[in-house]
Amino acid sequence: MIAAVRPTSWDLPLFLHVAGAMTLVGVVATTLVLAFAGVRHPGERVLARSAFLSLLAALPAWVVMRIGAEWTYSNEHFTGHHDPTWLGIGFAAADAGLIILLIGVGIAYAWSRQLRPWAPKALGGIGTLYLALLTFAWLAMTGKWG
Amino acid sequence: MSGYHWLLTLHVTGAFLLLGGSTIAGLLSVLALRSDRPSEIALLLRLVRFALPLVAVGSVLTLVLGLWLVHHVGYSYGTFWVWAAVVLWVAGNGLGKVGGEKQKSARLLAERLAGEGDAPSPELQSLLRDRKANAMSWAAGVAFYGVLALMIWKPGQ
Repeated sequence: MIAAVRPTSWDLPLFLHVAGAMTLVGVVATTLVLAFAGVRHPGERVLARSAFLSLLAALPAWVVMRIGAEWTYSNEHFTGHHDPTWLGIGFAAADAGLIILLIGVGIAYAWSRQLRPWAPKALGGIGTLYLALLTFAWLAMTGKWG
Repeated sequence: MSGYHWLLTLHVTGAFLLLGGSTIAGLLSVLALRSDRPSEIALLLRLVRFALPLVAVGSVLTLVLGLWLVHHVGYSYGTFWVWAAVVLWVAGNGLGKVGGEKQKSARLLAERLAGEGDAPSPELQSLLRDRKANAMSWAAGVAFYGVLALMIWKPGQ
């Protein structure tokens, strides 16, 4: 119903936000698959290199998602006071997520430089945490919690 | 949450699975292009199997719950954005399946070559760089993002 009454000027920012978020989820999930494969095959440098490159691709997806979010927010004339809960969850997940993402990039870089067995495990852990955070955010934002 | 929001949440979750799974498959294929050794290529292409259940579940959720939402909200099934989204959904799945078959051929060849000395192979590289198959896979991705655009702009509504 909300979609039916949404002004058309919100469409492009919302598309950028959702497309960026979906791409980000896919890229993080790819890194997670590579990290878990790296735990099983600790000597395969191709997994470490691929995980690093894959996670680098998450950064532009995050930027597109975040720009879309801010643009949509400004169109909707929210003030920052008494904003709905789902909006707070979305912004918290996006901004805290950047820190987690950058830590992940650092771990993936370290793994690509030296095949240390802790690196794919740490990357798998931080990737799982980030994916859980993104899932929580998309459920809250779509269901308009609060 | 209202019934509408439950349906929308599950529908969007399906879209996340579909586009997320497609991204995993696409990204692993691109990463495989950067390798020369058949064993590395085989290892990366074998990981694509983790994306397939996501794409399958996402495809079903988006279509079934999408059509349910059209009925629930009271949109017409004859509206342009509704049937165009179904056409793009079918096209995306069809193109992705054909592209995936080519990728499977490349994986099987890479696995065979890995067991026969693991030397770089022009045949494998040409299979990985098959322009028609790659174009189909990319077109499948564009079709799915096209469905997302139709869901948001709703042309003809």
